[in-house]
Amino acid sequence: MSDTWVVILVLAAATFSIRMGGVLLGQKLPTTGPWARALNALPGCLIVSLVSVLLLSGGPNEWIAGSVALAVAWFSRNLPLTMLAGIAVIFFLRR
Amino acid sequence: MNTSTPSQEFWSAVKDISPLALGVAIYGLAFGLLAAQAAMSELQIGVMGTIVFAGASQILAVERLVAGAGAMTAVVAAIAINLRMLLVTASIRDVYKDRPWWQLIIGAHMTTDENWALMLSARAKGRSVGYWYLVGGGACLFVTWVVSTVCGVMFANAIPDPKALGMDFAFTAAFIAIARSLWRGKPDLLPWLVSIGTVAIALLSGMLDSSWSLILGGCMGALIAGLLPHE
Repeated sequence: MSDTWVVILVLAAATFSIRMGGVLLGQKLPTTGPWARALNALPGCLIVSLVSVLLLSGGPNEWIAGSVALAVAWFSRNLPLTMLAGIAVIFFLRR
Repeated sequence: MNTSTPSQEFWSAVKDISPLALGVAIYGLAFGLLAAQAAMSELQIGVMGTIVFAGASQILAVERLVAGAGAMTAVVAAIAINLRMLLVTASIRDVYKDRPWWQLIIGAHMTTDENWALMLSARAKGRSVGYWYLVGGGACLFVTWVVSTVCGVMFANAIPDPKALGMDFAFTAAFIAIARSLWRGKPDLLPWLVSIGTVAIALLSGMLDSSWSLILGGCMGALIAGLLPHE
């Protein structure tokens, strides 16, 4: 079997195990107390971490576009509008 | 209380996720171009998209193969990127609660950053959405991803570069918008600052790569939220 097929099959098995592992872990953790509070806060913390990684991996162009996107998101709370503003600013800055 | 049927939830998610699906399609086409350089066939790319269905890890794995790294290196790097999915699926446990096993399998496989975050955002805006909203968004992205990556291999010489179009920033902007809608006010401030600070230190000091910085940042913020006395 070629390397490519090995990569595909092993990555698929590992990725599904990770996703299913989280599903089963979530059912096992307590529903009250510190664990529950931590799990409730996890989505927001993960998304903020993801945005931090994306912006810190970029340069001044990404920081400016990120600030504009944040301002648009803050006042509009609108997903497509925020995406359009971010793309438009980065496109303009990179020209 | 506005209750909606599974079918209504499914299709409203398909509609809500369409701007993100457009971004996924452009990435899918570009990924097909990369896969063609790795001499992958339409069949291999179609099977990979179907059974892996985790774009960033697929791009990384194939990029490593093209760069001449071995299969082992490619797989390990790609798995590291996907470890965050453990936290992603664990964090929406109510969605999977008391579901039959086949719905757990489909629900787990259909969970990606985009539809997970979009569902949370819809909930933060007061909509009572759950499993079928998640699966609807996931199914839309799934079809988009598989079709666009296969098309990318087939039409490898007519594909635009996402970065030149500014499309690489589409997802950053989308996650900024989603973070905004998840903001609940003061109780989030300290955990979020801890997450941002942890990522900044881990990444800028060079201690951790981006996959692990992200995981550590998410865990540290959640840990602080768990330890803080609240309500």
